[in-house]
Amino acid sequence: MPLDTQAPARPMLRRPVLRTLRLGFVPLTDAAPLLIAQELGLFDAVGLRVTLSAEASWAAVRDKLAFGALDAAHLLGPMPIALAAGLTGVKAQVAVAAGLGANGNTITLSNALAQELGRCKPPLAAAAFAALVRRRAQQGRRPLTLAVVFPFSSHNYLLRHWLAMGGLDPDCDLRLTVVPPPMVAQRLLDGAIDGFCAGEPWGSHAAALGAGRIALSSGDIWPNHPEKVLCFSTEQVRQDPESAIACTAAVIGAARWLDEPANQAEAVNILRRRAFPRLDRAEIASAFAGMAEGLPLAAPLRFRNATLPRRDQAAWWLGQMRRWGHLPAEVSDSTALAPWRQDLWRAAATRLRETEPPAPSPPPPSPDLPETTR
Amino acid sequence: MLRRRRRARRIASGPRCLQPRARSITLRVLLVDSDLERAAAVQAGLAATGCVVVAIAAGTEELTRHVRDTGADVIVCGLDDPSRDELEGMRALHRDEPRPVVLFAERAEPDQIEAALAAGVAAYVVEGMAPARVRPVIEVAIRRFRAHQALRVELAEARQGLEDRKLVDQAKALLMQRHRLTEPEAYQRLRRMAMDRGLRLPVIAAQIMDNI
Repeated sequence: MPLDTQAPARPMLRRPVLRTLRLGFVPLTDAAPLLIAQELGLFDAVGLRVTLSAEASWAAVRDKLAFGALDAAHLLGPMPIALAAGLTGVKAQVAVAAGLGANGNTITLSNALAQELGRCKPPLAAAAFAALVRRRAQQGRRPLTLAVVFPFSSHNYLLRHWLAMGGLDPDCDLRLTVVPPPMVAQRLLDGAIDGFCAGEPWGSHAAALGAGRIALSSGDIWPNHPEKVLCFSTEQVRQDPESAIACTAAVIGAARWLDEPANQAEAVNILRRRAFPRLDRAEIASAFAGMAEGLPLAAPLRFRNATLPRRDQAAWWLGQMRRWGHLPAEVSDSTALAPWRQDLWRAAATRLRETEPPAPSPPPPSPDLPETTR
Repeated sequence: MLRRRRRARRIASGPRCLQPRARSITLRVLLVDSDLERAAAVQAGLAATGCVVVAIAAGTEELTRHVRDTGADVIVCGLDDPSRDELEGMRALHRDEPRPVVLFAERAEPDQIEAALAAGVAAYVVEGMAPARVRPVIEVAIRRFRAHQALRVELAEARQGLEDRKLVDQAKALLMQRHRLTEPEAYQRLRRMAMDRGLRLPVIAAQIMDNI
């Protein structure tokens, strides 16, 4: 094992016992840094006691974090913005301590749609999909329904952006809906939805079930886009910054470990045991291998270089929220992006001698919009 | 029937029409819960306050359609119910559907938020409804959820008590056999061991049984 993937060295042990940190996550492949940190004893190594709770919805994670039933959580990238602006009726100030991964979502379409699109390898071009949607409209067929996992999600905004790239208006030309990730494959199989954008392993699971075909990955839309984040409630950071820094260090340590190809088989085993006992190993493994439909992805799920939370990247989510009319105009950029701070990451990285990761690829430029009518 | 058709027409012509809601006399509540016993208790409680309640199991069908078809004013579900994200999606993703807002919203009182969280209740109010009107509904839901929780805890405690007794009896039997003790002597020894180590009797009993 290379030196920097080992558990953090002794000097990090500041305090023998900190109080127990309550961490929530939604069972998805990119919750791996949290599960791995616990399984490898990285939290113990920094003197932290952590309880990890699997949560059934993003709404539950948000409420528990906002009202103090959780100290920190695995959150969707746009959620801290929604929280800062009080978009869902819940307003809270959170601190983004680290990114938990880059890429890792798929857009998966029903077999029927895949067939209509003809034989094409991923990534499916936005123009080809848009042509299909228009053709269906001309034929007077019902509009397609695509599912995302939460309104304020990278999935929603990347999918909308991709649809708009093809010249579609996601609010008029098709119907978007929310389906919890563990249910997407079944809904696709039942024909309740025609496709979805969701985090792994659910795209691979749907493909393995024969419910649909992976058309492209989110990394095909924005290569190395930031995905989930590790968020603390600001109250937790204020009361006990040491725990937040220690926890962030353990998560960076886990991200390093996860990016070592030699560790992937063990990571798959751990994830299967902890989060997806009903799935086959192969369904979980394909995200780590960076494969979809048997082909390598241009921008696969990775962890280490995504740990530094970057405000300029989060600004893309903010721009999309404004673009689609999801954010009141009076919410300022500085309020919306205030959760992205780097002090916790930098304090943690110093302890691990983790250097700043290279700057990632810039977000995709927005095309000229089909003017929405809102 | 007529009422529902009217509502459907309003919805079909866009969310704006939902704003000035017709003053309905009874509140229509959609209850989403896979725990049938709890759902029945909540339903009975709400019906007693004069609400029209439609209960459905969570995760089975498309919720959006249910919210629309029932013309619900309030949606009550478990805090940890997987269908919550779908409900929240209605607000941002469907322009032409009712728009439920989570009731932790600005106007809820802190004590009510706390009570709802503790009882595990989440509630949504369809936009245009005054939260004050919905308050009694939420209070009933919180009370019934809490009662159900208490019942479950009681049941679990009763089960645990039985388990504990069984363990202590087994450990006692083992000591009697191993050290040729009478039953009161074996019990005395168990108690002494528990006191010396500051552990509960069943814990000591379990340790003895584990170390056979």
